[in-house]
Amino acid sequence: MVRFKNRWLLVEFIPLHQGENTALNGQQIFNALKQSILANFGDTGWGAVGMSLNVTYFSPVTNICIIRVARDHHNLAWAALTLVTAIGASRYIPNVVHLSGTIKHAQLAAVEHNRKAIARYRSLAKTPAAYHDSFEEYLETSSKEIESLKG
Amino acid sequence: MFFDLNIPVPSSSSSSVSQAKKGKGKQAKATTPSASAFSPSQVNALESRIDLLLQLGYTVLAFNQVVDKKVDTKSHCNVLDSLLPQLKQRPGVVFLKRLTIILDEDSEKGFGLINANIPIFNSYDLISLLPTSATTFSLACLTHSLPSPLTAHIISLPLTLPRLPFRMKHTLIRTALKNGAVFEINYIGALGGENDPCLVTADAAINDSSAKRNWWAASRELCRVTKGKGILVSSGAIADADLRAPRDIGNIISLLDVPQNTARDSMSTLPRSLVRRAETRKTYRAVLSEPKVVIPENPSQPKLSASVAEIPLNRVSNGANVGADIAVHDVLAAQGSPESGTVNERDGPSGPVAIPHANGQKRPREDVEKQAVAPPVDHETRKKKRKKNKEGRGPTIATGGAGS
Repeated sequence: MVRFKNRWLLVEFIPLHQGENTALNGQQIFNALKQSILANFGDTGWGAVGMSLNVTYFSPVTNICIIRVARDHHNLAWAALTLVTAIGASRYIPNVVHLSGTIKHAQLAAVEHNRKAIARYRSLAKTPAAYHDSFEEYLETSSKEIESLKG
Repeated sequence: MFFDLNIPVPSSSSSSVSQAKKGKGKQAKATTPSASAFSPSQVNALESRIDLLLQLGYTVLAFNQVVDKKVDTKSHCNVLDSLLPQLKQRPGVVFLKRLTIILDEDSEKGFGLINANIPIFNSYDLISLLPTSATTFSLACLTHSLPSPLTAHIISLPLTLPRLPFRMKHTLIRTALKNGAVFEINYIGALGGENDPCLVTADAAINDSSAKRNWWAASRELCRVTKGKGILVSSGAIADADLRAPRDIGNIISLLDVPQNTARDSMSTLPRSLVRRAETRKTYRAVLSEPKVVIPENPSQPKLSASVAEIPLNRVSNGANVGADIAVHDVLAAQGSPESGTVNERDGPSGPVAIPHANGQKRPREDVEKQAVAPPVDHETRKKKRKKNKEGRGPTIATGGAGS
């Protein structure tokens, strides 16, 4: 027998209006994704991926999210994710940053992407170089959180 | 390096046309309408969209001006010329100008893509046609894809209409692809987003709930008839929320029964070669680089001197050059590429002439050529090939290891 294989999607949800960033959570993302699969691929589509679909991690600060799906139909789940236009009332652009076969590499990519996202926030905030902001702490806690994920 | 070759420009053609109508011809022409065509808020919106596209990973962006039915020589103005200087320059990002002409029954007799209007079209980097009738579709595939200063390299199709207004015949598609044209898919249709209002008013797109399923049917059909070759994917989105990252779109395109690598190439390799091909519109006979002639150390070979005598006099301008001149011609003839760099034809209207040689054949004997010159090295193509090999790897998929 062959073991059960997964794909891990590391997704960034880019908010369109930076200011009104209403708190998103994993459940909302899961529901939006489910609705998108049902709307675009119907019941058969949901049947193909529904059992394995799972939002493993979500960070509200950088809006990144790790989604697990069975390998067989991950293209379908990915396409449905791309076709998501809004979560709740606000619109987001889903951007798949990384697609990996093991959770290990999804974690590594998530930590790396967090750093990049924080660097972008900092450059937008234009704070002085040695300024200590809350992001420092966030990077540490999120890295630990991400690394503690178990497939 | 990813390309988005269709970024609609807000109220482009409609503003210039309406202004021309108000002023009735001459007056409108005198007051250049392009100067005030874009308000600061429109420019700001475009700036933020460009930032978003860069964040998603695109580096080459083409702004699209849409013209309905035909290009009016008198009132037409290139709105992109005034727009691009207003945009902030970013290192490593290329902005291109693209013109799309929507063709319908009225355009069958002509729509301004003629030699007299070359100056208008030379200000654009890319020209594309959007046929909405069978006749104009075959015009676009057969006539306007031929290499010339007016080649329309992109054939865009009204994919969101309930039914394609023509049948995509294999012969037409094949000819267009052979001539180097590509077929465009705008992914905005897959998302069911809002289309460019110019297209909607011209009946080349619809904005209702059925647009999405029409798009899936029509794009699948297009991928079937082209067998996945020559498909260009671009956004065509007027709302920021309808932009997507290139890899995500690659995945969507691979659902249309296109191989994964082709789906990815449709946003990277294919548009790059397309842009390069479109550059040749402005060059002489599609020559991009002049072949370099290597003059041998000892040019006076006994057998060559015999052939010099038979060359028409106007060609023998410089005695030392003659040997090299012939060699260049021969090498080109051997390559069998009529459009790549014909040095001889530039000096006069004589056209390509097969120069007779001492052995009575079109090509000199092998030994003569070997001694006479080393073959010219085409640096341009070599560089291009190397680049192609280097260019990007597939989406980062790391497999193996323990799963759940």
